[in-house]
Amino acid sequence: MRPLTRYWFGDIALARPYLLVRFVLTVLAFDCWLNLVPHGAKYGIGGFNVAHFPIFGDFVPGASFYLGVLAFTSVLALSQAVYRPHRIALALVAIGYTLGWTCSLLDSVPYHYLVSLYLGCFVFFPMLSARAAFSRSDSAPRGSAWAYVLFCVTTAIVYFYVAAWSAADGEPYWLPMACSGAYLVASMQDRSDRTAARIGMPFLGLGPIAFHLLTPTESWFPVYMIGIAGVVFAPTRSIHTAGRALTSPARNWLRDHSEAGIDERASRMFYLSLVGLVAAPAVSMLVDLPGVKTGCALSAIAMLFVIGRQLYLTPKRRPLWRVASLFGACLALFLTITTSTARFDYYRTGAVDADLRGDHEAAAEMLEKAERYRR
Amino acid sequence: MRSVETEPPPPQPSPRHRRRSGLFIGAVILLQFAVPLTYLTREDTADDRFTWRTFSAPSEPICEPSASLETFDGQREELALEKLIHRDWIDYVSRNRRAVVDAFLKKQCETKNVLEVELTNRCGDERGVHEYRLRCGGERSYEATRTAAR
Repeated sequence: MRPLTRYWFGDIALARPYLLVRFVLTVLAFDCWLNLVPHGAKYGIGGFNVAHFPIFGDFVPGASFYLGVLAFTSVLALSQAVYRPHRIALALVAIGYTLGWTCSLLDSVPYHYLVSLYLGCFVFFPMLSARAAFSRSDSAPRGSAWAYVLFCVTTAIVYFYVAAWSAADGEPYWLPMACSGAYLVASMQDRSDRTAARIGMPFLGLGPIAFHLLTPTESWFPVYMIGIAGVVFAPTRSIHTAGRALTSPARNWLRDHSEAGIDERASRMFYLSLVGLVAAPAVSMLVDLPGVKTGCALSAIAMLFVIGRQLYLTPKRRPLWRVASLFGACLALFLTITTSTARFDYYRTGAVDADLRGDHEAAAEMLEKAERYRR
Repeated sequence: MRSVETEPPPPQPSPRHRRRSGLFIGAVILLQFAVPLTYLTREDTADDRFTWRTFSAPSEPICEPSASLETFDGQREELALEKLIHRDWIDYVSRNRRAVVDAFLKKQCETKNVLEVELTNRCGDERGVHEYRLRCGGERSYEATRTAAR
């Protein structure tokens, strides 16, 4: 195998792409609910908007559109994190998330663009079950995953530019440059025969961790990047052991029956899944935020599309687990929004903005809701 | 009988798959390197999106914006920005973000009987005063800058 081919298509520990997808999707869901939802009220004010790209034309996203897109993306993302991801669902998460920030300059947080790039990589990750990645206790299963290498190289390019702009501004640049180098070689640690490389590689992960701990920011960007560094640079043995412990319930409880074909039970499963798909978004009706119901209903429709294909192509219990994961994600949305200050902040900032514009009726309405949801 | 305990790892990609993936990887990497470099050619230096120059909100001090419009009957009317657009947009405008300034001026031109809209940013530093003027019906606003030295 030529060096370049070996670099992109060589083996990596499958535990890494498995845990990386789950980690990023989970953080993304909670990031949406806790950090983006509270800012939703500013969308559509005065019928004014400038999008990131001219493709949106004169489209003005309102609060319900923005929150709907967030609900759709986050619920689908969390459902994919808790049960085996599906390529179509991941593509929809990537599209939804990207739509969420591209539709308006009101969301110009630089790392959202990076998360979109990551989600794009995830679409091409191997769709691994817990058993495929962690079934063997003696050695970590390995396989080719070029999209994982692309993920690492994407991160390396980001750090490279951080270093380059810092150098151009006369600021210290060695730490981001070291991070860039670390991510370039990170994917090689699982295939290296040299003991020194296997032992030394995890220490390279300290670079990104130190960089984000030393660079203060109010957003969740350090949470993403420190977690990603943990998964990418952890020693093969440790990441495998941690993954085995985390997926132990999934590997022991979620055993599918492998017989294939269409039978009566399959159709019963299908109708049961349909009932579940209707029930799951119903939870979001209790959230009392504009657009969330629609977003959750759309995520259920997306899931129907995913499981509708799976019902005839894969083991038959999988659709039920998918519906359960969607229900769990809708429930998580409800619990997070109702137990945090996200909803209060949404209505409070909405009331302040409306008052500033002189729309006292809307301000009073939103203030009343803010008081109702004060925590 | 197939074991429920283990599943095989994904198969090694075929040469054809590698070729196709290689092309895709090459295109993506090229794009990722090229996009941040576009900053060097951007007309609007306040626009540093997709460049990885910063990961937090811009810390650049903002200017003091004010806006007015002139109607066809020659009357000039001051605009209260905070009543028209959200304060985040006002922040963009006060940082001389050209795309937002242009969109704002165009939006005000949609009001009936408006001949011209003007937006002025007074920055208390070397950036001086930026004046943007759009004759309604025109495509792009005219920008005039008066620095503190003048």
